[in-house]
Amino acid sequence: MNRYFYYNIVLVSLLNLMLFVPYLLIQHRYEGSIMSMACAAIVGSILALLFTHVMKTYPGKGLPEILTLFFPKFLAVPFMLGCAFMWLTAASIVLYTYSVLINRFFNPDTSSIIVLTFMACVCLYGATRSMFTVIVVMEVILVVCTPFILFVLFKAVRSPLLDWDAIRTVAHYWNRLPKVKPFASSLFVFTGYMNFFMFNRLNSPNFRIRFRWFIPVFGSLILITSFFVPIGFHGTDGSADYLYIWSVTSDSLVMSYGFIERVIFVFLLLYLMLSLMFATIGWHLAMELVKSCLPQPKKPVDPAKTPRSNWVIVCVFVVMTITYAYTFNEKQNLEITSYWIVLRACVEIASVLFLFALSLAGSGKRKRLET
Amino acid sequence: MKRVRLPLLLLMLLLPLTSSCGFRDIDKRFFVIAMGIDQPSNGAKGFNVTLRLAVPSPKIEPGSGKNQVVSIQATSIAEAVRLLKAHVDKELDFGHCKVFMLGEGLARNNHTDMLRWLSRRRDVQSVAYMAIGHPDAKSILNIAPPDERYPGNTLFLMFGKDGTQSSYLVPVYVFDFIRRTEERGIDPVLPIIRAEGKSYVITRLALLDKTKLVETITPAQTETYSQIRNQDSKSTVAAVKDGDTMVINVDRISSHYKIVKANGEHVLRLHLRVSGIFEEAPLGIYEANWDKLEELFNEQIASEIEKLFKKVQHAGVDPFGFGLRYRATHAGSPQTWKDWERIYPNLKFDIHVRVKIDGTGLVK
Repeated sequence: MNRYFYYNIVLVSLLNLMLFVPYLLIQHRYEGSIMSMACAAIVGSILALLFTHVMKTYPGKGLPEILTLFFPKFLAVPFMLGCAFMWLTAASIVLYTYSVLINRFFNPDTSSIIVLTFMACVCLYGATRSMFTVIVVMEVILVVCTPFILFVLFKAVRSPLLDWDAIRTVAHYWNRLPKVKPFASSLFVFTGYMNFFMFNRLNSPNFRIRFRWFIPVFGSLILITSFFVPIGFHGTDGSADYLYIWSVTSDSLVMSYGFIERVIFVFLLLYLMLSLMFATIGWHLAMELVKSCLPQPKKPVDPAKTPRSNWVIVCVFVVMTITYAYTFNEKQNLEITSYWIVLRACVEIASVLFLFALSLAGSGKRKRLET
Repeated sequence: MKRVRLPLLLLMLLLPLTSSCGFRDIDKRFFVIAMGIDQPSNGAKGFNVTLRLAVPSPKIEPGSGKNQVVSIQATSIAEAVRLLKAHVDKELDFGHCKVFMLGEGLARNNHTDMLRWLSRRRDVQSVAYMAIGHPDAKSILNIAPPDERYPGNTLFLMFGKDGTQSSYLVPVYVFDFIRRTEERGIDPVLPIIRAEGKSYVITRLALLDKTKLVETITPAQTETYSQIRNQDSKSTVAAVKDGDTMVINVDRISSHYKIVKANGEHVLRLHLRVSGIFEEAPLGIYEANWDKLEELFNEQIASEIEKLFKKVQHAGVDPFGFGLRYRATHAGSPQTWKDWERIYPNLKFDIHVRVKIDGTGLVK
């Protein structure tokens, strides 16, 4: 199961582009982005390490099972619904943003709502599968996409048109004090481990996480790339003007002999796969959390038949997503995302510290039983 | 079957939606291959927009590229494009437009209005090329080179790296142009295209400030610019000795510069290293003292570079990005930029060229 843990980390950190993380960082490039990124790298890695302790203490137990060990149901339910809401919104915002991207770059004549409906249907099917299926599909998608994405990133960094002077200019602003928004958005890059709030159910009791150094190293690299490369391509001042900064950045690369000359189309297709996968996981986890609030006997992890409740819950998610897309325009979506990302960071810090406290109490309890 | 019935049903429900996707077949599209934007000739407000459209042809052989050129005047570029749609029978598609050309008149007046359209349009490639048409963009777009295999190929090959690689042509991408117009510390440049018979010539570079064209430089200076800024190794360096011109074909070139403070004033210190073999020189050069020859090259190239730098400085533009380098090497604060604005007009240049002769070609 070790590799599945890291697939989650890789997926979520790559997905930061869809949640306007580079955009928010670049808006604050002269006002503390770099220090915020450094703080987020430290805080994010510490939270991830604390959470691995929780996983070790409660092998095979998801968030609902851990909570029922300590609290009566009526206390656990609001907490779980809150978490479900965070996963649902993450997935829905990514889907909506991507449907707008398709409308902008692929097919301007199609309404983004139609695109969103199609994508939501794909994710509806994916999210209703069993937890085991979802995590295996994630492996396939990542094994297919990640090499290409790393290739595009490598190409970007090696490009002669990348202006290192612009990057160095912005790097000179490292000594500004960190700010909440850039901090919260950079924290998102390190947050992949949170999917194991639920995926932990799949872990066997003798499970041990190795290569924990991978979390800070990979997260920091991705964060640095997604912040500095657009600045190198669009300048210290120009980069703040773009909304979909990474799509435009990938359009600044050329593959003369790569069948498709414009890298943007390859890049967007890869991110289509990643976004669908991210939304599938988000909805699936939110669905599992909602289901564990309902009174029902414990189900196996990989049931042969998809329960009807799966369909019902995810269909509600789909309807909520499409309603969201109908209600809010691009500008409001960006605004909401920037507040959401701060809320998400608060929820992440609070819930992980809370669970860590529970795990300390839990291991203490176990020790007392043993002696 | 029972398990997939619901998803299948949902998919079928979605099918009617696809009718509104607005997909058009390739034979219902006109691909714009180059776009020219000029000032209206009669002094009116607005733009004169010229589009060069590719006419599909079943043959691929020299001279089979067919073009259609349409042109219209309107108060805004977007309006001009809409109006042009009324002149043609197929949907205009900018997805393959690789050259955006500004008329020289417009560039000398103000080029920022044009960027308002260019940077917002979703189907404009960031990696399209930009250029200035001399005397105007329309007359350049009207040229149809007789040996073109498919429409626009001549222009694409000239700008791209696949065909000819001229050291007098500095290709400028759209995103690079936009970045330079926004950035404090580096100013845009654009190659100038002029017509010669039924073909194009690109030898000179236009220097622009944030709003308009201010200066053009000679072909030799364009080559020097390309050597310093892009370390272009497909170039030559030349020197004159006793009335004979000697030319070295560059194999390796590297340029580094930094801004240092010496004796209380700021100095730009440039190190240019060039090595290569003689391409043209009088016989007997093999026996001459190569150290002395190299010294000659060093002096003459350095004085050429200094002349170019002075010209650029005098014009008040910064196409090399010295200001950005200053910002990149000094503390990050708004004061740094204010300092540079004060420093640049009085900046001194200290140029060190080191030419290394590798050989004299096939003969002594």
